Amino acid sequence: MSVIRLIAWREYVENVRTKGFWIGILLLPLMVVGIYLIQSTLAESTPTRYYMLVDQNGQYRETVESAIELEHQRQVLQSFVNYLLDYRKEGDLELTAANARSSADQLVDDVGADEVTALNQWIESGGLDFALTMSTPYLREDAPAFESPERSFIEAPLPDEVDPTAASQLVVEQLRPYLSGERRVSVDGNSGELFALILIPKDINDHILRPGAMPVAGQAQTGGVQYWGRNLADPRLPDAIERSLNNRIRNEEFARNSVNTDLIRNIQRTRLSLNKLDPLANEGEEAVSMADTFRQFAPMAFVYFMFLALMQSVQYLLTNTIEEKSNRILEVLLASVTPNELLMGKMLGIGLSSLTTMAAWLLTLFLFLNFYQSAETSTLVQIIGIILSSDLVPWFVFYCLAGYALYAGIFLAIGSLCNTLKEAQGMMVPIIVTMMIPITITPFVVMDPNGSLFRALSWFPPFTPFLMMNRAAANPPLIDLLGTTVLLLMSILLVMWLSGRVFRQGLLRSGQPPRVMELLHMMRSNSQ
Amino acid sequence: MHEPVLSLENVSKKYGSFTAVDGIDLQIPRGAVYGFLGPNGAGKTTTMRMILDIIRPSSGRIAILGHQSALEVRDRIGYLPEEKGLYKKMKVTALISYFACLKGIARKEAEQRAEHLLEKYGLKDFRSARIESLSKGMSQKVQVLAAVAHDPELVILDEPFSGLDPVNQQVLEELINNLSANGQTVIFSTHIMEHAERLCDQILLIAEGRKVFDGTVPEARALVARRILLETTSDVSGLQNLDSVAGVTASESEPGADPRWLVEITNKAHPQDILKYCFDQDIPLNRFEFAEPSLHDVFVGLVGKDAREQRLR
Repeated sequence: MSVIRLIAWREYVENVRTKGFWIGILLLPLMVVGIYLIQSTLAESTPTRYYMLVDQNGQYRETVESAIELEHQRQVLQSFVNYLLDYRKEGDLELTAANARSSADQLVDDVGADEVTALNQWIESGGLDFALTMSTPYLREDAPAFESPERSFIEAPLPDEVDPTAASQLVVEQLRPYLSGERRVSVDGNSGELFALILIPKDINDHILRPGAMPVAGQAQTGGVQYWGRNLADPRLPDAIERSLNNRIRNEEFARNSVNTDLIRNIQRTRLSLNKLDPLANEGEEAVSMADTFRQFAPMAFVYFMFLALMQSVQYLLTNTIEEKSNRILEVLLASVTPNELLMGKMLGIGLSSLTTMAAWLLTLFLFLNFYQSAETSTLVQIIGIILSSDLVPWFVFYCLAGYALYAGIFLAIGSLCNTLKEAQGMMVPIIVTMMIPITITPFVVMDPNGSLFRALSWFPPFTPFLMMNRAAANPPLIDLLGTTVLLLMSILLVMWLSGRVFRQGLLRSGQPPRVMELLHMMRSNSQ
Repeated sequence: MHEPVLSLENVSKKYGSFTAVDGIDLQIPRGAVYGFLGPNGAGKTTTMRMILDIIRPSSGRIAILGHQSALEVRDRIGYLPEEKGLYKKMKVTALISYFACLKGIARKEAEQRAEHLLEKYGLKDFRSARIESLSKGMSQKVQVLAAVAHDPELVILDEPFSGLDPVNQQVLEELINNLSANGQTVIFSTHIMEHAERLCDQILLIAEGRKVFDGTVPEARALVARRILLETTSDVSGLQNLDSVAGVTASESEPGADPRWLVEITNKAHPQDILKYCFDQDIPLNRFEFAEPSLHDVFVGLVGKDAREQRLR
């Protein structure tokens, strides 16, 4: 026993001393944090966009301007909601519509449920000023003042030489240098590229498309509002303009047909809420919250984490055995320890290295969440809290260890047969593919955890750790639990026993890795 | 006499149709320095691996330190395999003490022994160097020390001299002599006869998996003829009539020098007899050389033909 501990400890210490180990530990968190920071910086730093508006018809300027104002208000609302999420007292995912407590929470909830309606309410009730007054009592004392986002879209005046009443082709022609970026526009001393030109032709009203009327070929492209812009990736401006122009003409249609528009609007805002209820919950607690939903999806997170843990230990399992084999260390070791002791020692030591990596990742995550506070991270903290408080953790520990024991034996045996990592890669492919199958079907398993196909697949031991973890939140039938567990444990013993044999014989082999038949022979025979 | 440290009874190892080791019998007494001699591919390494129970014999019986398998007494055995290799990233002291720990020595004690050995055999400046920074010969020395750090009763060294420079070969000889003086039994294989000659109490000579000879060095010498080299212009054919002479043959002489003759004498004969005969017969001698046959002669004489014709394994 102490020999196994000794081997495990050496394996662990030597692993921890390598540069690769620390790179592995640092790389993932750095990447995740880096990507997160880059994304959030990019999201906040969308540059100011300058547009020109030429309304030859004369009726629509106000509509376009209000569309842009609406888009701005939407941004203000969004960032205010994030501000609330960051600084309100006791932000809590356990909220359901039924137990929402404050009007600040109500606002957050409304925006989540239906942004368009919430935006209308927001503007009607007085926008930011009102919201600030309303929410102040619910904010934490240390909350900083809210910073309203800057306007994304600013109108640039037409250059003097352009006559807005000229034929539309001429206007576009004159503005082309601006649109192509050759010339810059300047507004209030700031200069920038022209983002878009919105041109509303004089005869726009003749081109309104109505159901039933056959559109004239080509008219849809040329007859409507002209939006000239090179950037097609940012759809906010064209979408907002199209939406509010259409609202405007629809309102006019209502009026022409003597329909009460206020009535229509109110009717459109009438809604029924859909309450998700849990039949298994106690009386009075049936309402399904976000937390309940997370709990159902939590197994997926565990499955992916398990896969990540396994994949990163694979590398150690292979390279360490190959190193000993190619450096001819094994023969000395075999005069001192039995192959099974060596196998167990390596499994333990490398398992410990992987656990260290995992722990380091979790610690980094913990530190990041604690020191970098934002709406996203505080949500994440809550999600993690929910996952950890669920009864899935013991399952995870069990299936993670079982999965490791099952696969580590196989990978060590492969390592013992190969002199280089290259040789090993060929033999690894079938094993990796086997591991990938339960990973790729993970999202489907969550949707139908006790479906007969997934129940059947769970009984295949290499899939068992992943699939049963995946199904753990859905109370799988007892027979599945017991049966697959017994089968899994038996397979682990079998794999360890066979790997021990292959390991023993592979260690002293030289030359090419064995073919399949030779491998089977190795498993059958006991001596060399 | 004590019970032997190691005994092999009719031990064979077959790989399919190929016989690597064929019916070897052997007894090694406690405290002996025992040499395994034989050409490449003779079965020395296979025999050692079987002794250590790293591979199992196809037939025959091995008893080691009073046990059936070396694995049962592995803490009492030290082993240096033919293919040397160490953990490249480990430091010298840590490595020696790790192997000693695997043999059941407590960590503190193992470290002290490692330090002591490194100092004794001229490696103390390298105690905290990494193995990968050492030369091949030096890391081989480290590996020998790692094999003996736990004071094993039986030390098995497979080709310990190969790859060492003459100075370090001498250090290794000193180490083997020290082990022997300490009452430890040493088995080593080599094809450098001088080492075996200087160090071994007994030798095993194998070729093509079969035992050719097993006994003391003088016994081995007795196996090949004793020869006297004469350089003279006179006729020496009369020597053939002497009882102590088994034969006289002409030998290659150096250009410009007098003819040379090889006189083969019997085991009981004394070289003095030949000298006396020459004196009596007034045969002028430019050269009279007698040397006991070396193990080299024994080796070449017994296995020379086999060693030249390599068989496909």
